[in-house]
Amino acid sequence: MNCYNCGCRLSEKNFCTSCGADVAVYKKIIHISNRFYNDGLEKANVRDLSGAIISLRQSLKFNKNSIKARNLLGLVYFESGEVVAALSEWVISKNIRAEKNVADDYINAIQANPTRLDTINQTIKKYNQALVYCCQDSLDLAVIQLKKVLSLNPKFVRAHQLLALIYIKSEELEKARRELEKCLAVDANNTTTLRYLKEINSVSALDGDRGQSAKEKRKSSEDVIRYQSGNETIIQPMNVKEQTGFSSIFNIIIGGVIGLAVACFLILPARISAAKVDMNAELKSVSEQSDVKSSTIAELQQQVKTLTSSNGELKNQVSSYEGDSGTLQAGNNLIKAAQLYIADPSKVEDIANVLANIDMENNGENISREFQSLYTTLMDDIGPKVSATYYSTGYAAYKKGDYANAITDLTKAFDFDNTNIEALYNLGNSYDKNGDTANAQKTYAKLIELFPDTERAKRAEANIAQLNAQDEEQ
Amino acid sequence: MIDFEEELKKFHPSLEIEEAEEAIYNQDLTDMADVLVKMIKDVKEEEQR
Repeated sequence: MNCYNCGCRLSEKNFCTSCGADVAVYKKIIHISNRFYNDGLEKANVRDLSGAIISLRQSLKFNKNSIKARNLLGLVYFESGEVVAALSEWVISKNIRAEKNVADDYINAIQANPTRLDTINQTIKKYNQALVYCCQDSLDLAVIQLKKVLSLNPKFVRAHQLLALIYIKSEELEKARRELEKCLAVDANNTTTLRYLKEINSVSALDGDRGQSAKEKRKSSEDVIRYQSGNETIIQPMNVKEQTGFSSIFNIIIGGVIGLAVACFLILPARISAAKVDMNAELKSVSEQSDVKSSTIAELQQQVKTLTSSNGELKNQVSSYEGDSGTLQAGNNLIKAAQLYIADPSKVEDIANVLANIDMENNGENISREFQSLYTTLMDDIGPKVSATYYSTGYAAYKKGDYANAITDLTKAFDFDNTNIEALYNLGNSYDKNGDTANAQKTYAKLIELFPDTERAKRAEANIAQLNAQDEEQ
Repeated sequence: MIDFEEELKKFHPSLEIEEAEEAIYNQDLTDMADVLVKMIKDVKEEEQR
């Protein structure tokens, strides 16, 4: 014991031998504190934890620096499941005396195992949640929570008491009694526990007055066989006969019918639905493929159409090159005419016949510049001669009144030499005489256009006027 | 007969580990020895006056 004034160790005297301070009362306070500590220790030894807590707290009220009392208080708290309170006491103890303090070991023992620390915290949270459930009158949930708490921390006295209280409330006295007995195993002299037990006993005594019903209850409880399998208590009735024979077969049939019904109403619709989903997916896939194929077919058809049209065009082109009036034939005729001209330029008629077969109007686009040049050269050279020949034969036919041949030859005469005004004039006359008024007028008009201000043009105009007058008369 | 509601009021939530530090700081650690020392100190001061 040290002096409160100077900290020196005190002797048996009632004053401090170092500073002279009066320590008589101080010594008495420390003695009371020690006495409470001893009391607490004795109670703790006989598992009177709640009594020990009271004594040790009293001890600390007299001397807060009593390390032994504080450490023991922490230990008692820990034993009764109050881990946070225990830790608090040990932390304060360690703060008062940092060295050579057993509280240090206690704290380390808890902190060294994080899993256990977490479990402790979970326990506390669940207990608090259970308390909330109780306040909300959700006693079933509270029971579940408290059972979890007690499975994690079986020495949590307050949780046992709360569970017992709930059982008492729901008139499950046996269960409440069992919980309270567990409480007593931890804390032998807890006032609350004892009070609850007394209440249960008094209620049981009242029930005892109703003897008959209790006996029946007991009898009914005796008619069962109870045995423990792991954590579960199996209760098997003794007087129940097993069903045999027809009833068993009947039960099997009922079971089969129920199974069939379950298959029809639960499993089958699910299967059908799944099959439908699969079918829809497949249908979708097939329709997508069909769309792709349709578009490909349309594309190919378009290509076929394009190719067919181009094929037609090409065929037309080929046919324009081939045939009697085609470009190829025209080329051949021109070559033939050139050969005849080279062989004998005097054979004008033969050359003219060959050149007459060349259709310059239809082949105008297809012929080459060289073709045109050769044709023009030949025509320039033999054209007037041929024209003169055809004119003479045409005119002779005209004179004879053979207008059909006259028209043919005079047409050729003008074609071979488009300066041959006589051929054109007599062609108009031939048409006129032949009764083809329309072509006659056309021919005269052409003459007037090509050779204006000529004698033949004046005559042509007069002939047109005459023809018009004849038309008006008719 | 036990009144459930009244008994329930006697149960208080447990302190969680996170709250332990605050509880330790807030704990009143004044003991009888502190009271005695203060009383002696007060008496001495009275005498000095």
